[in-house]
This record gives sequence, structure tokens and C-alpha cells, in this order.
Amino acid sequence: MRSLSMMLLLFSGAALAEAPQPAMPGMEHAHHAHAMRSWTDLPLLKTKAGGESRERVIVVPQNIVADAVDAYSNKLADENGRRRLPLDMAGAKLDKPASGGFHWLAAREEQGDEVRVASAVYYFGERGAENPTDMFITQKHELEIVPQPYPREHSRYRANEDWKFLVRFQGHPVVGQMVALETQNGTKSVWVSDAQGVVTVHLPDDFNAETDGKEIGGSRGMGMRGSDFVLAARRADGGKTYLTAFNAAYGKNAFDQRSIVMGLGFTLLGMLGAVPLLRQRRKKNDMPEQPEQTEQKEEA
Amino acid sequence: MLKKIFPTLGRFRFTVQIVMLFVTVYGGALLGSYTVDRISQALPSLSCAFDKTTGDHCILIVSQHQLHHRIGEALVKAQEITLKVFVPTLISVATFFAFFFFLNKAFCGWVCPMGTVQELLYRIGRRLGRPLNRFSPDNVERVRPVKWLMLLVLALGLPLMAGMGFAANELGDPYCQVCPSRLATTLLTADTEQIAVRTGKNINFFLGALGNAMFGFVVIAALAARQPFCRICPLLSWNAMFQRLSPMRLVKQQHDKCEKCGVCEKACPMDIHEIGREHGKKAFHEDCTLCGRCAEYCPDDDVIQIKFFGIKLFGSSREYYKQRVKQESPEGMPKNRVIWLKQAK
Ligand code: SF4
Ligand code: SF4
Repeated sequence: MRSLSMMLLLFSGAALAEAPQPAMPGMEHAHHAHAMRSWTDLPLLKTKAGGESRERVIVVPQNIVADAVDAYSNKLADENGRRRLPLDMAGAKLDKPASGGFHWLAAREEQGDEVRVASAVYYFGERGAENPTDMFITQKHELEIVPQPYPREHSRYRANEDWKFLVRFQGHPVVGQMVALETQNGTKSVWVSDAQGVVTVHLPDDFNAETDGKEIGGSRGMGMRGSDFVLAARRADGGKTYLTAFNAAYGKNAFDQRSIVMGLGFTLLGMLGAVPLLRQRRKKNDMPEQPEQTEQKEEA
Repeated sequence: MLKKIFPTLGRFRFTVQIVMLFVTVYGGALLGSYTVDRISQALPSLSCAFDKTTGDHCILIVSQHQLHHRIGEALVKAQEITLKVFVPTLISVATFFAFFFFLNKAFCGWVCPMGTVQELLYRIGRRLGRPLNRFSPDNVERVRPVKWLMLLVLALGLPLMAGMGFAANELGDPYCQVCPSRLATTLLTADTEQIAVRTGKNINFFLGALGNAMFGFVVIAALAARQPFCRICPLLSWNAMFQRLSPMRLVKQQHDKCEKCGVCEKACPMDIHEIGREHGKKAFHEDCTLCGRCAEYCPDDDVIQIKFFGIKLFGSSREYYKQRVKQESPEGMPKNRVIWLKQAK
């Protein structure tokens, strides 16, 4: 973890970009940058369920001025493989394609010599959804932070875990790239990519009484409580600066609301219950005895 | 050549079991993260989705999930109950069957990691000189309905009721919460999260505690009894529902000597007494795991066979029997091998 000053240095440009933008004709409706006070200045894509249906999700960009959200499905070759979703006041509507599965979501803003990208992943549960590796590997923006891997179905980012991300510029891994982490719970830290362009980020265990209550939205939350984090990288190249952010939800650490002591205790109790079976009661082996009593007790 | 590597069906099955243990417990780590769960997502074996490196997951997690979130919720919202609500479940069951069709209950006897773990423990128990606690026919009869209860209540009924709002939401996956395979497979990957009991909600705590106790019981009991958990496993009963629909069969012919012999009964890890006393359909019992031990230990030619579409894959024979009992007793006691712990006299 690097110092906070480094972090400020890294993102000094980000604050500038947050200054009120001149509204562009016909785009006011899409300007979500200052709709609410955000926990970060970095560009974000929030997803929320689109009403009753499990087939639609609303994507809401924050801290970025964009007129559309690009959605890439894990079936890139398909007609729904790459979709441009128009933004209105509520956000962009992402409808579940028949193939379901992972979707890469991105909003891009280019103002003068500054390119800003917000990115996130959404997963529609669907049996037999295609392997999303191609979708993740395909170059989608100039500067990218690609999860390696993204948590698969039935799993998710959680506090106190290490997760890997590949940082790429124009499709090539970037060595020694600084990546900032900010969490909704208030942690800020900076990480650096290795010789393969991979940065290993430790998600902090920073939940406390105040940040406890929020539910993770979307299908991945599974009703569990959690919070959000965002990773961001900044890079200057050919007279332009690129700022790319990737955000996702993370849950509490694996052992939250679990007790290993009690778990072992009950396991031991069960073991003790079976110990009488181990005793030799007859001289001859393989004689019928009465294990059934204990078997049934377990089920009673 | 094949005969040299696998001189017995038992050796062949053991090899398959070990390979499948790796596929089901660590397969995801080898195949890549996103390939995980992509094999069938509806396996007829207790391959656990809570295991972060699993190669696939069992049909029961899918059916609980779908009954809870799809069917249960749709029923209570009095939405138009369209075919769409049932399609994912139908696809899951169809996928399950596409696999099950070929191997039938051999998914229990050859593939299931929980079945394999129990067999390994039993082998260890032999080396430790522990006794074999067998079920008498009467007691077997008494235990048999439990597996149907497990299926109907824990794997089907409660999730559906939870989805409809008649049971607590925490009862969406009650079977998973007590499943010993969840604990066995995650512990095999050195993950201690699952053995830590959930304390957030009373129901979860109660089910978790029960699951841990059952797991502890099974681990020790398996040292001195064969397949203690299998007998009440809801997947055994689920699989039994489809057992007659597969061309893979255990076939037993009527034979006069059976009445006095009964070696196959001794060899059967599920204590299926019908294998010795019945023939035809009744001999291929709902508890059968297609392990093939009865066919290995039947001392008469072709009385017991495993057949696929009527083609004999393996049949009992006097010659084979003579070789087999030299290595291992029907009850699984190894001959001429080291016993680590002398039996107490
Ligand atoms: S009966 Fe035994 S082998 Fe079959 S699924 Fe259950 S635990 Fe596995
Ligand atoms: S009846 Fe035969 S094949 Fe079936 S479980 Fe018993 S020994 Fe195995």
C-alpha cells in the first residue's frame, strides 16, 4: 500500500474533471455527474434491478458525462453481443439476452484531451451461459482494468480477500501502473501492477456499524449486505490523459456472522456420537450390530 | 493391457472415483474460473457449488434455487403461470437426465465425491482394524424412507414454501445447509468458511449446527460402517426416480443357489438384501449405487451383470470370484495386507 500523497498526486487530474461541465445541447438529460453526492469523485456505473422483472437492469452512470452505455455480452458474436444503450433520466436499460451471462458495461466521456471511462460487470443468471473469457479479453477501451477473473456465479468480491486485475493500454499490459482503490466505506489505497501488468488488490475489511446496513443490489448481491469499491488508473499518452475506473460491489468477509468455534464444536459432538460404532464388541469381525439407532437419531 | 492396469472392476472403479474426486473438488481450478459450473450445472452427484474450485455442481442446489426463486415466487405473485416459469427447471432436469441416462446410479457408486470420501474412510477403518457395523434387513427397511423425506422436505418442499412466503426466506436452500458434502469438499480445498456455522439467523444456525453434527457423525461412522450418509441422501432418492429410465442396469437372473449363498449381500455397501433374495427388477433396488461389488463377488457365472442397452459390460464369474476373494473379503477387508491397528480381543 502506498501513501495517500501518492494517491492525491495520481488523481489530481480527477478533481479538475469534476468541475461543472458546460451542458451540451440535447445532452442535459444524460448528465448524471452531480445528481447525488457520491462517496467518490471517480466515474462509476451503478446497476439496479429494473422493477419486478429479473430480465432487466438499470445502469446509472455517476461522475461521468455520457450519452450512452456500451454493453458487451459474453456472446460477442451474437446480435446482442455489443449494444449501445441510450441513457435517459432513469439510466440505461439493459435487457437480458436469451444467452444471459456476464456483461461488460462501459460509459465513455471525451472532453478536450481527457478521456474518462467508467466500467462495471453485470451478470444475468442463466444456465449454460457462454464462457466470458473472450468478452473480458477483447479490447474495449484505450485504458482498461480487467478482472482476472471476475467472481463466478455463486461467488463474489468480499472483504479481506485478494483479487487480481489486468491493467492494459491499447490492448497491452501496463507494467508498474498505479491503481487507486476507494471503497464506499472510506478506505483509500494505491496498488502497483507487476511485470505482467497484473495488480493484486486486497479488499479491505472496512465495514463498521454505520456501513453495515446496505444491501448489495443486482443479481449478484443475493440479498447479502455489502458495499461498493472502485479501482482507477490514470495515464497520459500522445497529449491525452486517460482515466479509467472499474467498480463493483463487495461483501463482508467470509467469516462475518459465522462461528468457527461453534462449527467445530458441533462437528465434534457428531463425531462423539459415532464413537461407539468404532468399538469392537464381538470377537468376530463383520458381525451385525446396531448402528441404526444412532443413524436415525441424526435424522430425528 | 487394460486388464493389467485394471485387474479387477474394483480397481477400475477406485481409479475412476479418485479421478472424479479431483474433477468435482478441484476441477474448476484446472479448467479455469469461468469454466466452473459449466459441465452440467445439474450433476447427479453431490459436487458442491460452495467449493470455490469445484468442476460442476449438483442438481439439488439448482432445484432448490429454482423452486425458491422462480416457481415459488411466481406461484404466490399469482402471475400468469406461464411455461416460462418452469423452463429453467425443465432445462436443468433435462440436462441432469442427459448425463444420468448414460451412467444411471453409477453417479453414486463411481462419481460422487461424498460417496468416495466415505469409501476412503471405510478403507482406513479396515486398516485400523475397526469393526463393520452392518444393517440388519429390518433396520435397513426402517432407514430407507428417510432419504425420501430428505428429498421431499429439505430439497423440494421447504424451498418451494419459502419462495411462496409460507416458510422463512432462510429456508430457501435447507438441504445445502445440512449437506455433509458441502463440508467435506470445502475442507478438501482447505477452505474453513463452511465448517464455521452461521450465526446470523436462528434457522441458519440450527440447520448449520445439525449439518456439522451430521458431518462429524458420518466421518467417524464411515470408519466402521459402509456409506452411512448415502442411506439417507436425498440425491439417492432423486436418482432413484429416474433409475428405470436409463439403459444402464444391474441385472440379476433367478438362480437356485442364491438362497444358501448370499455373498453378494455381504459385498453390497448399501446392505441391499434384495440383491441376494430377489431377481429381475426387484434386485435392482432403489438404493443401488451401481458399484458392481455384488457382481464381483457372485461366485456363479453371469448371475449378476451390469448391462448397457442389454449389452453385458461386466458379469459375475467363478474364476473372477476366486481371484477377487484372495485380495479382499466381500465386506471389504483386505487380505494379506498390513493392519495398522491390531483389533482388541
Ligand atoms: S447416495 Fe452417496 S454416492 Fe449417491 S449422491 Fe448421495 S452421497 Fe453421493
Ligand atoms: S446391489 Fe450391487 S451394485 Fe447395487 S449397491 Fe449393492 S453391491 Fe453395489
